Amino acid sequence: MENNIAISCRNLTKDFKVYFDKGSSLKEKILFRNRRRYEDRIVLDDVSFDVKKGEAIGIIGENGCGKSTLLKLLSRILYPDNGTVEIEGRVSALIELGAGFHPDMSGRENIYTNASIFGLKKEEIDDRLQAIIDFSELGDYIDNPVRTYSSGMYMRLAFAVAINVDADVLLVDEILAVGDAAFQAKCFNRLREIKAAGTTIVIVSHSLGQIEQICERSLWICDGKIRAEGSPREVHPAYLDFMNRRNEHEPAPEPPVEEEEQPKNRWGNGNVRISALRLFTDGGEEVVENVQLGTSLRVEMEYACKRPLKKPQLNISFYRTDGVLCYATGLMVEDELGTAMTGQGTVTMEIGRILLLPAQYSIDVSITGEDGFAYDDWHDARRFVMCCPQVEPGIVRLEHTWECTQAPDAKETNATEGDGEPCRKKNP
Amino acid sequence: MHMDRLREIYNYREMIYMMVRRDLRGRYKGSVLGFFWTFLNPLLQLGVYTIVFSIILRSDIEKYYLYLFIALIPWLFMANSVQGGATCVLAQKSMVTKIYFPRQVLPITHVTTGFVNMLLCFVVVFLVAGFSVGLNIMALPYLIPTMVIEYILALGLCFIAAAVTVYFRDMEHILGIAVMAWQFLSPIMYPPDIVPERLQPIFNLNPMTPITSAYRSVLYYKRPPDLTTMLAALAMGLVFLVFGWFLFEKMQRHFAEEL
Repeated sequence: MENNIAISCRNLTKDFKVYFDKGSSLKEKILFRNRRRYEDRIVLDDVSFDVKKGEAIGIIGENGCGKSTLLKLLSRILYPDNGTVEIEGRVSALIELGAGFHPDMSGRENIYTNASIFGLKKEEIDDRLQAIIDFSELGDYIDNPVRTYSSGMYMRLAFAVAINVDADVLLVDEILAVGDAAFQAKCFNRLREIKAAGTTIVIVSHSLGQIEQICERSLWICDGKIRAEGSPREVHPAYLDFMNRRNEHEPAPEPPVEEEEQPKNRWGNGNVRISALRLFTDGGEEVVENVQLGTSLRVEMEYACKRPLKKPQLNISFYRTDGVLCYATGLMVEDELGTAMTGQGTVTMEIGRILLLPAQYSIDVSITGEDGFAYDDWHDARRFVMCCPQVEPGIVRLEHTWECTQAPDAKETNATEGDGEPCRKKNP
Repeated sequence: MHMDRLREIYNYREMIYMMVRRDLRGRYKGSVLGFFWTFLNPLLQLGVYTIVFSIILRSDIEKYYLYLFIALIPWLFMANSVQGGATCVLAQKSMVTKIYFPRQVLPITHVTTGFVNMLLCFVVVFLVAGFSVGLNIMALPYLIPTMVIEYILALGLCFIAAAVTVYFRDMEHILGIAVMAWQFLSPIMYPPDIVPERLQPIFNLNPMTPITSAYRSVLYYKRPPDLTTMLAALAMGLVFLVFGWFLFEKMQRHFAEEL
């Protein structure tokens, strides 16, 4: 294995015997031999890929496509029927939380049990104990028996242990749905920190948004094979498109929308189309290209629906053209309109002061249904360039003021004109 | 490969320690007397035996209650290792299918828990033997190798029972009968010399025969056990352990799918 590769999978194949009527007792084994028919279902078929050290990769695919099996192969819970998995360093899998918790024991004791199952030694757990307790936000409850915990507290503790294991390779399966929104955000930030510390991460998730936020690469598994591989921004729209089409073909086929010639940066089933996206500055002038930092910006999006939509959400993301997501937000259009979204209309977004630093930016807009499938997904819908006379590094200017105070020093202050008064300078 | 596995299990020693601790402490949690039951249980059993065998089923053997008790405590450890051990992987289904750890940890934990429990019971054994026939300090150290040999045998059998039961659930019930038969075929309730002469060679193939004799020799007869029989017991224990190890290692690959 090369030096910079953390995970190397070669020709992974796994099939399960799916019994129609499984029995594993002697009677069933002998008497119902005929009933013990099964079919070999190939779950993974000759899958090969590498993950570089420090890289984060997302695995997507519909239910039953084999993505969880792949994660179990990586974590060595399952063995492949064919092919090899090589992983460098300690592996930690966030698949099952709270393993080995005993309800009658205190949170603290359960931390030791649970962490030891992840393969930590006593001293290693001692070192992490405080971090785990802090992260779980349990405070004094940590010495109460776990059975007295609410389910939220239980999951917070379980997650706190799992996320503090400090592995070289972290495998994550759909677990960021833990606790309340604030705790989820905290978990997510922790995941980012772990990534920044150089840990290789593999995430299986249905939440494409989460993967987009943290992963450089997505692996789309379909029927046991890698269907597509690449940056999330390329793979996910294709995946959503595929799912949309499949959903449309299946159970209750909606009347097909006539296929239009679709540009390459546009996906979705076309039940609604954002027909125009325009930018206006302070004075109501339409932006050609340049936007001055600190001015107000109005984004107008016109839409036209082909049929009424169920709970549509309008999403807008600002990317720097080198791919850094600067800001994204969404709007439940129905709530804003007070009625269902039909026909044509305009959604306007007012940005009071736009503080993105000088660079070129692009805007993605999409309208998605409540299940996350895109009706319209328009990447790179509009570009603009931020301008500012001052040069500051970063992504966005944080509005700020300065204040300096200095204690009056006998000789120095007398020599200079300073008199110990705080001096203020306001940022323009 | 097997060396790697051994090293890995060693690295997971904290897990074994924590699981044993959890099982021992968790067992009586919630009961009023708590951990005290560990001692109370064998004491009460002894009480029952004393009543039955000194009033109803009188035996020729002097202090039969002690004779039986000394053999019974190690036997209960063995029986629990095999019979309870059969389900030790099955019972942790959610862990086996969701988390990676060397699967050997589960039987090791199970047998070690039983072993520690037996050691605690020996506190009662020492007390009773001490009051009843006295203890021979010179013979007592021989208990250590005896216990180690029994542990080896128990672990080997537990590996086999646990691995087979995952694939073949009837094993649990078959073992219930087999263990009962084994109890009567071992000199636990009777002295080994009442077995007919011509059956003695077969009888001695039972690894529990020398182990039981060794415990009795030290605690009841107060003299060191016969070393050749001890070595025979050790050899048999190692055969089972090695066989169990390889069988378990091979079968554990598909545990997660079978469960």
